[in-house]
Amino acid sequence: MIIPKEVKQKPLEYLVLFFSLIIGFCGYLFVDSSQAKRWIIYSVGIIYFCWSLYHHYKRGDLQLSIVVEYLLIILLGIVFISGTLF
Amino acid sequence: MLKKLWTHYFIPQERNNYRASILKPNFLLLLLVAYLLNQSAIKTLTIAKPGVLGYSSEITAQKVFDQTNFERQKDGLAPLVYSDTLSKSAKAKAQDMFANDYWAHNSPQGKTPWTFFDAVGYKYSVAGENLAKDFYDTDSLMKAWMASPTHKANIVHTRYQEIGVAVVNGTLGGIKTTLVVQHFGTPLVASVAPKNTNSKPSSDVVEPSIEVSNLPELETSDILGNTSQSLISPLTLSKIFGSVIFIGLAIVLLIDGFVTVKKNVHRMTGSTIGHIGFLLFIFLLMLYNQQGRIF
Repeated sequence: MIIPKEVKQKPLEYLVLFFSLIIGFCGYLFVDSSQAKRWIIYSVGIIYFCWSLYHHYKRGDLQLSIVVEYLLIILLGIVFISGTLF
Repeated sequence: MLKKLWTHYFIPQERNNYRASILKPNFLLLLLVAYLLNQSAIKTLTIAKPGVLGYSSEITAQKVFDQTNFERQKDGLAPLVYSDTLSKSAKAKAQDMFANDYWAHNSPQGKTPWTFFDAVGYKYSVAGENLAKDFYDTDSLMKAWMASPTHKANIVHTRYQEIGVAVVNGTLGGIKTTLVVQHFGTPLVASVAPKNTNSKPSSDVVEPSIEVSNLPELETSDILGNTSQSLISPLTLSKIFGSVIFIGLAIVLLIDGFVTVKKNVHRMTGSTIGHIGFLLFIFLLMLYNQQGRIF
């Protein structure tokens, strides 16, 4: 199995990220109200954004273009899921 | 020429600084705007030209009734008896939601589900309500209800003896849709369980709702009928367009990850692995909730 170099270098950071995503997904499965589901999606988006800031700050390449890239990916994901589920 | 353009946008290489152009912020913004414009266009078309877009649904009241009893029988419970009176109250509830443009157990005017039971003269010892909308088939609707503990509690409640189902078409929030309403109850005289002398049912019995997609308007007697409408659902159109963008983006990210790992490229960009993980999270939510809306 190929493990990307960036994951090998910062395994803990990626573990935190994937653990957060898994917790978010499980939380989504277990809550019943659509309001709570919506907040879980927003929370995971915010966690991913915070993770990206920390990840790139530690890597020393935190730049505006990278921040914008994360924001757009997160917005695309949230807009898409909101448009189809709610 | 075409190949050059294709690889420039989708394959990381020296010419695009080892980052597929489609993953760069300006193109991501373009994709976001395109998706939002598509959403607006669908909504505008749905409102401006009702009937151009619609829903394609295979749900019938008969199937909802049959599958509800099927779920009860799986749990070793007696099947519910179809009640014309409860179907009338369910239909009245659906019509009230369309008339007053809301989707909830309690109306903005303060009507509770019990208002509709009372209005048709159904005296109950226990009663409950399930709502649904935006589903295309009965299997998915029942699956969603059974996955929700509160809705399932109504379907497999031991104290219910009767059921009424209404599948009603209309416009909610400016969008054509169909609501499915299940009303459960046990007539006061038939109840073996301790009677509730209040006009309100016990609180543990009544539960929230799911919403389902649209069918042509059904009369109560249509419980045995079959109706469908072969128009394209706005939700389906939206999902198709979104999925094309979404899956395309995921494929490009996978190619990007593969090429950069293989060529050991160092770039000043966002984490491809992180993006794939986040998009996978969104995709799994999509798979889990393929249809319908749940409060």
